[in-house]
Amino acid sequence: MSNDILFLAEFAAGTPARSALELATGAAELASQSGGSAVALAYGSGAADGAAALGAHGAARAVVLGDEDRPAITYAPALVAATRDAGMALLAPATPNGRDLAAAVVGSLHVPAFGPVRAARVVDGVVETEQATLQGAVVTTARPVDGAPSPSVVLVLANTFTPAEGGSGSAEVSQAPAAGDSALTRATVAESHEAEAKVVNLEEASIIVAGGRGVASEEGFAPLRELASALGGAVGASRAAADAGWIPYQLQIGQTGKVVKPALYIGAGISGAIQHRVGMQTAEHVVAINKDPDAPIGEFADLFVVGDLFQIIPALTDEIRRRKGA
Amino acid sequence: VKIVVCIKQVPATGADKRYTDDLTLDRASVDAIINPLDEYAIEQALRLADAGIADSVTYLSMGPDQAAEALRRALAMGGDDAVLVTDAALSGADEWATARVLAAALDKLAPDVALMGMASDDARGSLVPGAVAAMRDVPLLSYGSELQVADGAARVRRLSATGFDWITAPLPVVATVTDQVGEPRYASLKGIMAAKRKPLETWSLADVGLSADELKGAALTVVTDARPPEEKAPTERIENLPAAEAATKIADWLSARKLI
Repeated sequence: MSNDILFLAEFAAGTPARSALELATGAAELASQSGGSAVALAYGSGAADGAAALGAHGAARAVVLGDEDRPAITYAPALVAATRDAGMALLAPATPNGRDLAAAVVGSLHVPAFGPVRAARVVDGVVETEQATLQGAVVTTARPVDGAPSPSVVLVLANTFTPAEGGSGSAEVSQAPAAGDSALTRATVAESHEAEAKVVNLEEASIIVAGGRGVASEEGFAPLRELASALGGAVGASRAAADAGWIPYQLQIGQTGKVVKPALYIGAGISGAIQHRVGMQTAEHVVAINKDPDAPIGEFADLFVVGDLFQIIPALTDEIRRRKGA
Repeated sequence: VKIVVCIKQVPATGADKRYTDDLTLDRASVDAIINPLDEYAIEQALRLADAGIADSVTYLSMGPDQAAEALRRALAMGGDDAVLVTDAALSGADEWATARVLAAALDKLAPDVALMGMASDDARGSLVPGAVAAMRDVPLLSYGSELQVADGAARVRRLSATGFDWITAPLPVVATVTDQVGEPRYASLKGIMAAKRKPLETWSLADVGLSADELKGAALTVVTDARPPEEKAPTERIENLPAAEAATKIADWLSARKLI
């Protein structure tokens, strides 16, 4: 068995997803514990040209699964071929595409699956993971059963690893081995619709200002955008705000939206229902602003500000701009 | 068009959940419900049945005997019949083992669309649908905010990075839907009465053609420790201050943590 640590590296529109950089560094960390190498499995538009640069973040080698813009799941057969007997663990981002591809590996190779995890390490020659489960009520440590086949497939939450920067290394690039025929390649994009407004990828934001029912309207998000801009962050929302049509669903945080792990999460007018909480509970710092002194978010926030968000947020934006000298 | 909706019984949202001494989920001591996100898959299937597109809707679950209650509740919402795969050898099943059992049961039921919710409340790996698709070698259409079936193909509306796509594949498929398909219907009293007479079969592992050996003890993973989350520091509160003063205090708090 190889001791290599594989990771899934998604590319779109010519550039790697932030998850690819994070997992390159995470895989390198685990590989230093296992005595193997970090190996990127790169797919999507830009993968062929961009894979070598993952070396700067920790990848020793990169295997290109394909370079076209098509549904991620159609890369599953190439991924399975590149993963078979190839390493101790496969790290995949806990995103819809990452989960679909990881699942195809689990179903094709009959290997153990973990996650979404918030920490991983190599102990006694196998990968050991840490995961918050049962809606955050329990934290579990898990590992493969003795004699389980490799690699272990590990879904990793965003911001679990911080991309190493400034490395000058270049990953050695090769093409994926020939894949078998599979029905998973038969999914195609029939129609593509662009949103009216450009949306950011919340999973990549290190600061998020999120609004909920208390924001009350589409216009109500304007002061949140100002604050996010002053902080260098992005705007997110609860399901209530997305359902109301105040903000695109791409910006919804929670069980059925994005699972985020920013350094700072500011929730404004968000009550903190369990479905929202599971999408942001691993944020490093949580600030809540709410009129209701008994809002559930006050029980798990680090800082709870009771008051009117429409007064406090503009004042905070001014104060931050003043301190930043802008 | 034949649809099989896979559902999971989970501890009620907000229930006091814990692990037992053998580090498996204590399912006996808490109220159990249909996994809330599976109700959207049920709703999507029933809408296709209401529209005359689906000819039959069958529910499939793997779990202990009491999971039959979840299947009865689903039947009360609508649909035709249900199958529970239950076996002592399945206790503590992980996602791989669950997918293996569902895939085997689906081989036997042979639906055009195997439909699932996007995640479960209690595990959240969301790996079962894709693993089932790979095991059965059928296309996967995931995270649909709507599912349509026509002309021997299925398609889902799925959020993209910049908008949304319609992604399509020829039948049969495994599909998953989100909470955007429409609010799940309530079971009517008539529905609850009718559900009692709808067929509900119980299958063992052998009935789906699997042996306990093939399931390797129902798991390729083992939980070695389960503990409460780390105690967090108590919440600091700012109240009854004018906005400008509150803003200064928040900014101080952020500065102290090098966040600005």
